[in-house]
Amino acid sequence: MRLLAMCVGLCLVFLFVWERVDMVRVGYQVERLKQEKTLLERERDQLRVKVSALSAPDRIAKVATERLGMAPPQRGQIIVVQAEPLAVPPMQGAPVELRIAKHEPIAVRR
Amino acid sequence: MAVSLRRSRRYVMLLVLLGGFGLVLFRLVTLQVLQAAELTVKADRQHQKTVSLEGARGTIVDRNGKVLAMNLEVPSVFGVPTDVDSPAKAARVLSPVLHVRANELEQKLRQDRRFVWLARKLDPEQGRWFERTQIEGIGVVMEGRRFYPKGPLLSHLLGFAGMDGQGLEGIERRYESDLQGEKRVTVLQRDAKGRTVFSKGQQAEQAPAPGHRLVLTIDEVIQYIVEKELDNAVARAQAKSGTMIVLEPHSGALLALAGSPRFDPNVLSNLSPDRWRNRALTDAYEPGSTMKAILAAAAIEERVMKPDTLVFGEHGSMAIASTVIHDHEKLGWLTFAQVIQKSSNIGAAKAGIALGDQRLYQYLQAFGFGARTEIDLPGEATGLLKNPKSWGRRTVASVSMGQEVGVTPMQMVTAIGAIANGGQLMKPYVVSEIRDAQDEVKRQILPQVRRRVISPETARAVTRILEGVVTDGTGGKAAISGFRVAGKTGTAQKIDPRTGTYSDSKFVSSFVGYVPADNPRLAMIVVIDEPQGEAWGGAVAAPVFNRVGEQVLSYMGVSSPEPVKLAMAAGRS
Repeated sequence: MRLLAMCVGLCLVFLFVWERVDMVRVGYQVERLKQEKTLLERERDQLRVKVSALSAPDRIAKVATERLGMAPPQRGQIIVVQAEPLAVPPMQGAPVELRIAKHEPIAVRR
Repeated sequence: MAVSLRRSRRYVMLLVLLGGFGLVLFRLVTLQVLQAAELTVKADRQHQKTVSLEGARGTIVDRNGKVLAMNLEVPSVFGVPTDVDSPAKAARVLSPVLHVRANELEQKLRQDRRFVWLARKLDPEQGRWFERTQIEGIGVVMEGRRFYPKGPLLSHLLGFAGMDGQGLEGIERRYESDLQGEKRVTVLQRDAKGRTVFSKGQQAEQAPAPGHRLVLTIDEVIQYIVEKELDNAVARAQAKSGTMIVLEPHSGALLALAGSPRFDPNVLSNLSPDRWRNRALTDAYEPGSTMKAILAAAAIEERVMKPDTLVFGEHGSMAIASTVIHDHEKLGWLTFAQVIQKSSNIGAAKAGIALGDQRLYQYLQAFGFGARTEIDLPGEATGLLKNPKSWGRRTVASVSMGQEVGVTPMQMVTAIGAIANGGQLMKPYVVSEIRDAQDEVKRQILPQVRRRVISPETARAVTRILEGVVTDGTGGKAAISGFRVAGKTGTAQKIDPRTGTYSDSKFVSSFVGYVPADNPRLAMIVVIDEPQGEAWGGAVAAPVFNRVGEQVLSYMGVSSPEPVKLAMAAGRS
């Protein structure tokens, strides 16, 4: 009986020590993960700023005109077409608007 | 004999042990009792680290969620001069990395101080060098730096934040309390290597909350179109500066606000405050003939004039209060609508005189002149609108044609917006939502009617007159194919500060209007300061209205009211 009590007591001591040691270990692990999270968040924010800078309208316009040879549609190149069903019965559906870009040859700069 | 020797040895041993224990006990009492308080403080200082945490400054996005301003954690480099062995060598190594002159760095490292900043808020790439290399006495800390990824886009409205992250201009300043991240001081336990450790019962430290996210009413694409066209116009006219505002007349929400020349808020060094001033709000100018649109609204509302009331143009000159008012052409009989369309000063003066000082003043006040529009931006000027008690005999005529009165572009576009939307003066605004880190809406800003200024009937009548300005009058170059445009040109002489009289060579050219006239989606003002050569508002500012209007309507998907019609088979769509 006494031996059993001693064993239980010893186990409790080991449990207590193990709990403390493990808490410190997990604490270090948490700290490391937090640092990792901070680094990843930092990288995410840097990428977000980069995406925002790359998608700036003036940059897109520059790439479109200078590298891809595109040009804004000129007056008359966009015709808004209102499509209506024929007046022949049965009438179905509401009028639908279509936007048609008129294709005309444009000078491509490269 | 042997027994007594053994006993005496035991006593010696006992004495030695007792003495030893006594010493230990004495030391224990000294440490644990006598020096307890002092040593506890010392131990805490070694184990505990007080850190001040600050959440990142909030992000600013446009109406479609496009990032316009956000914070990044970037490295700042400091030195501990007392720990640096060779300041000259350290300075030589750091100079090309930090892009700071070596002698400047050396000077800092030779100072008799515990801490000096060597370079703050570097680019993230520069910080990578310090991950690979370590120099004794040189350290790196991360600090928040404000980035404006679109460069100069919207710079006058966004403003900028200072080195310590506080908003100094524009939206950054106005919404400082919302943008600022949470600030907190916390105590962390650390081990011998300086790593943070958790002690039993300690709560996990939550990161401080970042500042709120501001959602603007601005559309970055519309802003780009406006800035591009305004810059081109200012360059073409070799003007001093230019301002343009685009707003939704029915809500008062700003879609774009631009000043030219622009500035890049990422690079502020060597820029004078004059460059970043938001002239749309801070600078009052004499509006000239654009004021006739407001006069027309007041005169028709008060039934002093009807669009078809006949007014005599006095063949181009009329004497009033011992001065003479001139028109740019000799005009005879005109309808009141033609007075506005041809921008007759004499006709406007007669309408103003018929309205009277008091009523004209009341309407100008009602349209928001002489008071702040209360837009959510800092530094707004009230403009200049004198009380009729101090008006001279000519003032009513002068004010009617936009002289002796100072307005800001924001006041003028808000006033024209009231005519566009059927007579209600709206409060202009630029922030539509404030959201927290969890993306929940903390505050929503809704359109706000300040007051009704004129009736819808009057607004319709004035709109027809202003359409005539574009179809038959001075504003022909503002016409947009397929749309009805209403607007008014203005060409105001600037006052020469040396003589105190109107200058013959310095003008402010402007155009204010809205489109489509029957169901306005955009109210816009273009102000070009001191154009060289031809200075008429119809020649300098109206074309900008046309080019911006055409592109923005197309971008917004606003179709012409007279589209080409195609017949399609029933049932197909």
